[in-house]
Amino acid sequence: MLSLAQAVLDGVMIGGVYAVISMGLTLVFGVMGIVNFAQAQFLMLGMFVAWFAWRFLGIDPLLGSFLAFGAIFALGWALQATLFRRVLAAPPVAQIFLTVGLIIVLENSALLLFGSEFRSVATPYQTASLRLGELFVNVPYLAAFLLSVVCGGLLWWFLDRSWFGRAMRATAQDPMAARLMGIDAARMHRLAFGLGVGLSAFGGAAILPYLTVYPTVGSQFSVLMFTVVVLGGLGSIAGAVVGGVAVGVIQSVSTLVFPIQLQNLVLFLLFIAVLALRPEGLMGGSR
Amino acid sequence: MSRALVALALLAAALLPLALESEGYAIHVLTLALLFAALGQAWNIVGGLANQMSLGHAAFFGIGAYAATILQIRFGLSPWLGLVVALALGGLAAALISLPTMRLRGHYFALATLACGEVMRVIANTAAPLTGGPAGISVPFGAEGVWMMRFEGGRPIYWLMLGALVVVTVVFEVIRRGALGYRLRAVRENIAAAEAIGVDTARVKLQAAVISGALTAALGVLYAQFNFFFDPDTVFGVASISVRIALMAIIGGIGTAAGPILGALIVIPLEEFANAALSDRAAGLSQLVYGAVLIAMVLVEPRGLMALRFSWTFRPRRASA
Amino acid sequence: MSAPILSVSGLSKRFGGLQALHDISFDVARTEILGVIGPNGAGKTTLFNNLAGLHRPDAGTIMLDGVSLVGLKPHRIAGLGLTKTFQNVALFAESSVLDNVLIGGLLRHGVAEARAFALHCLEQVGLAGIAQKQAGELSFPERARVEVARALATQPKILLLDEVMAALNHAEMEALMALIRRLREGGLTVIVIEHHMKAMLALCDRIIAISFGRKLAEGSPAEIARHPEVVAAYLGRAHAV
Repeated sequence: MLSLAQAVLDGVMIGGVYAVISMGLTLVFGVMGIVNFAQAQFLMLGMFVAWFAWRFLGIDPLLGSFLAFGAIFALGWALQATLFRRVLAAPPVAQIFLTVGLIIVLENSALLLFGSEFRSVATPYQTASLRLGELFVNVPYLAAFLLSVVCGGLLWWFLDRSWFGRAMRATAQDPMAARLMGIDAARMHRLAFGLGVGLSAFGGAAILPYLTVYPTVGSQFSVLMFTVVVLGGLGSIAGAVVGGVAVGVIQSVSTLVFPIQLQNLVLFLLFIAVLALRPEGLMGGSR
Repeated sequence: MSRALVALALLAAALLPLALESEGYAIHVLTLALLFAALGQAWNIVGGLANQMSLGHAAFFGIGAYAATILQIRFGLSPWLGLVVALALGGLAAALISLPTMRLRGHYFALATLACGEVMRVIANTAAPLTGGPAGISVPFGAEGVWMMRFEGGRPIYWLMLGALVVVTVVFEVIRRGALGYRLRAVRENIAAAEAIGVDTARVKLQAAVISGALTAALGVLYAQFNFFFDPDTVFGVASISVRIALMAIIGGIGTAAGPILGALIVIPLEEFANAALSDRAAGLSQLVYGAVLIAMVLVEPRGLMALRFSWTFRPRRASA
Repeated sequence: MSAPILSVSGLSKRFGGLQALHDISFDVARTEILGVIGPNGAGKTTLFNNLAGLHRPDAGTIMLDGVSLVGLKPHRIAGLGLTKTFQNVALFAESSVLDNVLIGGLLRHGVAEARAFALHCLEQVGLAGIAQKQAGELSFPERARVEVARALATQPKILLLDEVMAALNHAEMEALMALIRRLREGGLTVIVIEHHMKAMLALCDRIIAISFGRKLAEGSPAEIARHPEVVAAYLGRAHAV
């Protein structure tokens, strides 16, 4: 019973991060209708940015996450302006394989630039944990979780309260009408894509204190992120939060029952089942 | 392309290995290109004719490779019989995957099939007593002989792959020109209208998936016999198999018989030579180029090189080289 | 009257809060031309969609020659001999006109016969000349006629035509009406949805008027034209024009 409670607690904290990294994926889909298969590779880039910031500038990854967000936001903005802009109206095959090509390019660029070794950071709080009654709270988990909550809150404020956010949502619902209202749809797309990949990079940096980074680390997160957004409904930000926590808890609890290698299998099967039964997501399709 | 031209190209392709060193690198690369051309062609049945972007064909490929190899190790089963087993298992797996996923379209279908491939990869990695797990599995060495597909030199397996490509291409063409091809086109273009005029859309999709999956699994058997060793991350890999298979058709021209062949004959040698030339200089460079070419292709002409030939007066004259 | 070919009884269909069809019953006699009229949104197309299996009715029975159609998939219903055209025209836009019709013919023939039969169907609707054109490039009246040819290619016992005359000019409409009459001479039963009242009164043996999902009236064209409720609900405006 105690181990179950501990697993749920761990799951919620990991799931908070999953929510943030998946929000980027769902945001890009919601605004532009593109499923970015390369989303997890931007998370990998975010981890690298944070790692280099820590290694050469001595910046803690938790702070470096903001740096990672900024850098990858700029990259995303540029990619939207050059590549993705051109497939917005293209058939799914072009969109799918553009992002698949991007996976290959990003992973191998990282391999060329940074090499294949595993890199991790050393922080004073790395092995610290807090006691919560009978339960333990892993400090790196907690830090990443809190950072995700802050980030998610900022995103919510941005989308719900700021003019940019409302303009972006208007663009998502009806690009034509948005244009008539004087909103520059192309600019909103660049903003959305930058924001989307930036969020995943941010989450990647936040989990660096308890993980290692290497060029193909993204593939670990790909199916996980897709499971999160499909659970919550592609395009739904609130759905990503629920889906993220759900996936975190499922993953964490399933380790009590299944051997560690089968942890992902549970997720994959869940993913296929949700797609087959409710492709619009368990929470319905609307945002 | 006229019949005579096809026959001539086929003859040239059959005679080509006689001009090449039997154990050489060139014949190895060409054999691989033929394999991927055949795989792309099998994918083309689902991806091209039904326009369902499968990113999970590695599932069938790996099932074929593992099933035949395990049966050979355990019971000394001939790979020829392994082919039959693979056809059956691949078709069965395709039917099982098809039932929950056939209603999905576009991105959703791609995602679901991708996950199916990944499920197989995890299972193969976990079921170590049967599959050898992450350490991989080797085809047992034995005496040379046709019955065990054990040949001297690289030519027989080249011809075997060429034969496989011919078979798969013929199947593709028969489907495309036949009733199933018309029905698949109807399903692709307007599913409600197809139903209303009597097309059993679920059955048509299932048929296409089963044929495609069965052929892909059979090609997995040939791959095992060609490569002797493989592991789950290779044969069930998203990048190494699933995406690569689809790429052959997409780069060459989706939905056409010549597309995957053209795609494989360009991409596989390019990949291999780039790997050989660049890998000692910098790991990842050749793959980087590969990804960049893919992106360029999608942006310039998503319908593939076949669609470009008119504007470039580029004619895919040779079926090999 | 011999046994009806199609017998609909108590058919109801609800979409959320909207009762699209409410307790609709009618019979169709063999080789009859039955018209269905009603204002926009009355439930005419919904009725067709329920008959053809694209929607599943909430209640009621549909019997085609003694076989129940409720719950069957559309392709099974087409196989049993009931085929409908689409109001908004749902052709396979990237295929040729001939291939569109050919696919209909595949229901009962192999490819070669289906092709020959498709050409025959195209001749019937007067489109044999554009058989090789891509369907997506056609004008709306042409596309509507391809819809008819494609439905004919399935060799139905009963054909449901959903506003196929909407965009036709007078001569084209006359030609299509003549075709429908000829088909009936050949043994086909036809149900027609059309807004053009004059054409409906001239073409149909019997007309059903529906409004807000309910059957308002049923009778010969002359009776329908005089029916006070129909005149009030629908004809009044048309006659005033």
